[in-house]
Amino acid sequence: MRRHYLTPFTLLAALALGTQTAAAETFKCPSTGGNFVFGQEANINTLDQMTSSTISTRNIAMNIYESLMTRDENNRPILELAESMTEAPDRLTYTFKLRQGVVFHNGKPMTSADVVASFDRYAKVGNQRSTLDNVDRWTAPDPFTFVMHMKKVQPTFIEALSSFSVPIVIIPAENRDVPSMQLTNPIGTGPFQLVEAIPGSSVKLKRYDGYKPNTTFEQRTGFGGYKQACLDTVTFRIVTEPGARVAGLKTGELHGVEDLPTKSLPDLKKDSAITVLPLNNWWIQTASPNVSNAPTDNLMVRKAIQAALDMDEIMDAASDGNYRLNVGFQYPNQPSYTDAGKETYNLRDAALAKKYLGQAGYKGEPVILLTNKDYPPMYNSALVMQQQLQAVGINAQMKVVDWPTSVQMMQNTVEGWNFHFTGWGTQPALGALATMQFLVQPGATYKPKDGKDDPDMLAAWTDMNTLPTAEGRQAAFAAMQKLALERVYALPFGSFTKVQGVRSNISGFVPFRIPRLANVAMKN
Amino acid sequence: MTTLIVRRLLSALPIMLIVSLITFAMIHLIPGDPAVAIAGLSATREQVENIRRDLGLDQPLMSQLWHWYANLLQGDLGRSLLLGQPVVKATMDRLPVTLALSAYALILTLAIGLTSGIVAALRQNTWIDQAAMVFAMIGISLPNFYLGLLMIILFAVELRWLPTGGYIPLMQDPIGWLATSTMPAFSLALLLAGLLARITRSTMLEVLRQDYIRTARAKGLPNRQVVMKHALANAMIPIVTVVGIIVSLLISGSVVTETLFSIPGIGQLLTQAVLNRDYPMVQGGLLITTGLLVLVNIGVDVCYALLDPRVRYDG
Repeated sequence: MRRHYLTPFTLLAALALGTQTAAAETFKCPSTGGNFVFGQEANINTLDQMTSSTISTRNIAMNIYESLMTRDENNRPILELAESMTEAPDRLTYTFKLRQGVVFHNGKPMTSADVVASFDRYAKVGNQRSTLDNVDRWTAPDPFTFVMHMKKVQPTFIEALSSFSVPIVIIPAENRDVPSMQLTNPIGTGPFQLVEAIPGSSVKLKRYDGYKPNTTFEQRTGFGGYKQACLDTVTFRIVTEPGARVAGLKTGELHGVEDLPTKSLPDLKKDSAITVLPLNNWWIQTASPNVSNAPTDNLMVRKAIQAALDMDEIMDAASDGNYRLNVGFQYPNQPSYTDAGKETYNLRDAALAKKYLGQAGYKGEPVILLTNKDYPPMYNSALVMQQQLQAVGINAQMKVVDWPTSVQMMQNTVEGWNFHFTGWGTQPALGALATMQFLVQPGATYKPKDGKDDPDMLAAWTDMNTLPTAEGRQAAFAAMQKLALERVYALPFGSFTKVQGVRSNISGFVPFRIPRLANVAMKN
Repeated sequence: MTTLIVRRLLSALPIMLIVSLITFAMIHLIPGDPAVAIAGLSATREQVENIRRDLGLDQPLMSQLWHWYANLLQGDLGRSLLLGQPVVKATMDRLPVTLALSAYALILTLAIGLTSGIVAALRQNTWIDQAAMVFAMIGISLPNFYLGLLMIILFAVELRWLPTGGYIPLMQDPIGWLATSTMPAFSLALLLAGLLARITRSTMLEVLRQDYIRTARAKGLPNRQVVMKHALANAMIPIVTVVGIIVSLLISGSVVTETLFSIPGIGQLLTQAVLNRDYPMVQGGLLITTGLLVLVNIGVDVCYALLDPRVRYDG
């Protein structure tokens, strides 16, 4: 007996339960035409999506490329270029039937040979190539069938395969051997195709008239679903200066922008020509302790620090007032969210902190907060944390370097720092599994002693990866989060809200982790 | 003149070599991992490691230096880590943008700076002189990003005369280029025009007090001829020196303006390269920019010789 997973019908069943657009009709552009200009905050380094983990690349490339599977509006895996996926009873083979009639931007029909070539390239240069470590081989028995043979059972494989962190996008077979980051002429199957890319300035896309929508859906959902290009062209203009983005939105030169500064929001909200769109849960602001260096190698010192913190004050300064308090490593709107360990969060208890310091035998050793000014939220949260720690008698000192240096110090040195400030955005959005890899080796941000994981954390992580049921894996995640907070292997402060904005004549622009321009229309 | 130019070009070679060595040493001495910068925020350790391996950043430093010089001798400046394209192409794509903007800003600088400097000198201690020098001080004192933001608010948001940013190439649409370049060029020019105005005024005042100016006036020459032919011609050598510096500043110092107005120029390219530890881009880009600045300085030397035949370059 074979089991069919995650077909669109599963999604539709979920939608019928009220998550979104129940009894929706197939999407139809309310109007067609228009040249949409989007003000993007960061430069892009490449449109070679397989080799880039940056948000700025994804912003643009995810409108050009598509994958076998992606995530829906609620982050659940869905089919995109596959019309069905069957998991064999022994769970060692996944068979994908491809959608027929899908055509690349160069006019060539997509077949399983292209899928094989895409997976070949990803295994060689893909930035998240470990996704395929457990795959023994992939084959194409016929032009519209793609089969993946696993080395061993991996219950979380579909979650990894559908990840949008560095998605396995499908490219034409002739691009199989293009070296890393050198795919300068991106050809995909998405609703928009590249016109021109001017590094440091803009990227222009146009509607791909040969686009074949996924008719098993009726609406766009997440990165997939039923997509249509209503706009003639979309130009992503790189506008790094926040004031210039605000000015562009006000004058109408920009029809949509990301990351509007908080100070400009009251003014923008009064403007009837502009719609302000908050995107909750953009990233989780965190500080990672160094448990291999004194005094934060002492659990009681770390607990004292945790007890002293007022998360409202930290997040207010870090986010300019645009935040939500949030226990743990997932966002409250996610199915995997848990408040396990909440008793450790936002304690603001100076007496408790001093009690723990006494138990730790703390003698005023410096606690060095390693941060940077490239990302003001990281600097601001470190600054407030320093004040809060000093208020309970901890000798907190700041070490301010630039972002690449701070990460290099965190990864390569044990001495000279006690907390490293960062933010987790994409990984929490992808789910618990993607996030908790930050707390186990080889990527453990808390610098476990001698590079060896806390055995209890490792056991919970193994359960998260190997338990056969989703419920079991979720329970393992809750246990791991509780451990991480109780043993202070991370200090998640809260989650940011990122504010986007569009002109009021734009319809269908729904805030998401990237600006999705399919199903977006412009009224004349 | 040919000998002068050949000598200057030959003397530029050791400069280029030293600059390339210093650049290589400095960019590699700065702590910070380019793979981290390229991977972006929220990247996993695996993603960073993959980038480091794919781009050869795990190779020993001397091996990287050897490869860079070996490729340089073949005219290959390497490939940008961040952009994934050849350094020469990335630089040459951006250079015309910066040169066009710099040329526009230079014309404005000369027009504003020379005119106000000369007028201030001729009307010394009058309200015109005071106004010109106050204007020059404001130009020098205002940070150009702040001036740029003020211009955006006034000319783009309030008056809607000009676009808030972006760039249209000169060859593609001259009117569009003028529209997108006017605010950036003025924000650059006002800063440097202030400098030029003050130098021009002081130099002109000094020249106007010379005996030969008094003699020219005593001969009954018209004031216009005295000023333009005798005074300004003799004041030009220090002014040309300052103009040479201004050209260098325009080419190398336009990063803030380019960032504010989203202009894809060389300043923005190199700043991003430094911030992201894009070693080949910094090394190659600076080598090309240094070459350009050396040419500007040779041009200034040639101007000296043309302006003043007494200047000898046979030593």
